Amino acid sequence: MKTLVMGNEAVACGALKAGMTFFAAYPITPASEIMHELAEHEPAIAFVHAEDEIASIHMAIGASLAGRKAMTSTSGPGMSLKQEGLGLAHMMEVPLVVVNVQRVGPSTGMPTLPAQGDILQAAHGSHGDYVPLVFYPSSVEECYRTTIAAFNAAEDSRSPVILLLDGYLAHLQETIDLDTFPFEVRPRTLAPLGEGRRHFTGLLAKDGVPKTKDSAYYREWYARIKAKMLETAAGYRLYDYVRNPASRLLVVAYGITHRVITPLRSAYSLFKPVRMFPVLEDELRAAADEHDRIVVVEMNDGQYRGEVQRVLKREVLGISLLGGTVSFNEIRERLREL
Amino acid sequence: MNYKDYIKWDRMPTNWCPGCAIGTVFKQTAFALADLELAPTDMTVVSGIGCSGRAAGYFNVDSVHATHGRALPVAEGIKRANPRLKVIVFSGDGDLVGIGGNHLLHTSRRDVDLAVICINNATYGMTGGQMAPTTPSGAKTLTSPHGSPYAPFNIQGIITSNRRHWFARTSAFHVAHLQRTIREAVEWPGFAFIEVMAFCVENFGRRLGFKSGHEMLVKLKQDFKPRTGPEGPLGPLELGVAKNDDQAS
Repeated sequence: MKTLVMGNEAVACGALKAGMTFFAAYPITPASEIMHELAEHEPAIAFVHAEDEIASIHMAIGASLAGRKAMTSTSGPGMSLKQEGLGLAHMMEVPLVVVNVQRVGPSTGMPTLPAQGDILQAAHGSHGDYVPLVFYPSSVEECYRTTIAAFNAAEDSRSPVILLLDGYLAHLQETIDLDTFPFEVRPRTLAPLGEGRRHFTGLLAKDGVPKTKDSAYYREWYARIKAKMLETAAGYRLYDYVRNPASRLLVVAYGITHRVITPLRSAYSLFKPVRMFPVLEDELRAAADEHDRIVVVEMNDGQYRGEVQRVLKREVLGISLLGGTVSFNEIRERLREL
Repeated sequence: MNYKDYIKWDRMPTNWCPGCAIGTVFKQTAFALADLELAPTDMTVVSGIGCSGRAAGYFNVDSVHATHGRALPVAEGIKRANPRLKVIVFSGDGDLVGIGGNHLLHTSRRDVDLAVICINNATYGMTGGQMAPTTPSGAKTLTSPHGSPYAPFNIQGIITSNRRHWFARTSAFHVAHLQRTIREAVEWPGFAFIEVMAFCVENFGRRLGFKSGHEMLVKLKQDFKPRTGPEGPLGPLELGVAKNDDQAS
């Protein structure tokens, strides 16, 4: 049956469909509806309204270690706090989904206005080197499907997967039928606590024994982690590419920005990455090779443009939509001016 | 069960300094777990960061060494995910009361069924001996070279401000009391917090004129006495339990 669903609700529904049974979070605009929706599902799931964002991600880590699929959700200011837990989950290899509904920052910024300013934070927010999986849907239906994919990818990679939304997409309401999508749900890949003599630590460790002064082992460990993440990523080539043979310009956009400019496919080729990180290098290169110019349209000061330029090793143009508004007419005009 | 079954002997020796109090508390915890006949598959130990935080890795059970201050939220997540597991938190005062202070307020308020063993050595030992929230007034440390200007944290006050509560104070010298207290904490259905009065000679005591761990142990013996009086809040130098099983709020 078709129902009117909000982006945030679709994330909650997708999480339940994926088998999530533990959720902890702290209220924050514009992510709170995920909490509101999931609170209704107690006691079928364990739900904690925690004292802060740091506590909620660490609770989710504990719950995941203890055998449950777990999720936490927040927005920019809370995402800054969650970086500590993200690093821990990468180090301990704990499956987890972390939702960041982006708003205008830095700091408290413009709480009710959408942004895409946390793209590079998603890739490099915690200290040290790591290779995160980051997904960013662009419609309510895709919020639902991508949330399930994020849980599956978390199990496949045994890592915290970041699901980016923006305040606009989170509050966008669309009529969809949640029951029509075919989906596959991964079983748990991590034996729950109580079944062994394992030691999970944030220190660099080999079989639970800290190796805090072993540079050679660090290199070996990092190579394994990186290979694991890239291998998992290869199973999630999530993107959408619509080529317009008449266009010499390739427009790259994601999230709500892509949703807004979808009608422009009659004039330009459109590439939408859903898997933001690791960057879809082969797919971007193949699409770029068919075009003279490339432009990234995004609600930040060129964060993903830099990534695309790095991958393509050629000049990439950018249209930055700053300050929390995204307008079809503005984008159309600025594309014409290129 | 034998206490030896709870210790990862291949991890010995520990990284604790000669004269450190943590080893005593660690071993008494193993004794208490053996007495309770707690199967290793029915429990887990969670630690934060610091000298005491290394303890989790020395227990021969599934264990977690979390980030600094976050032992309690990780433990709460585990407990809520699998209520069958006995979850023991073994960490230090800087971790649980300092950087993890907000979690202490809220985990105790939610009365999560955890046994928390807090080694109070009055300093940040692993990082070289800085002033902790538990450092006594006037004590000289790396970050209070003229003496700490603040009163130490009243942990009992925080825990017992919750209507239903279980707080105990014991010491690394009074080992029989320590072991009995750990057993009681593990068996208490709710949030049980043990402040274990301990010490750090290498990075704290030496600046205050102590020459060995033994001297600091003797000081514990002289200063702290098991409570003899009626129930209620413990005096600052009393060892014992302050509890209230009243569910009503």
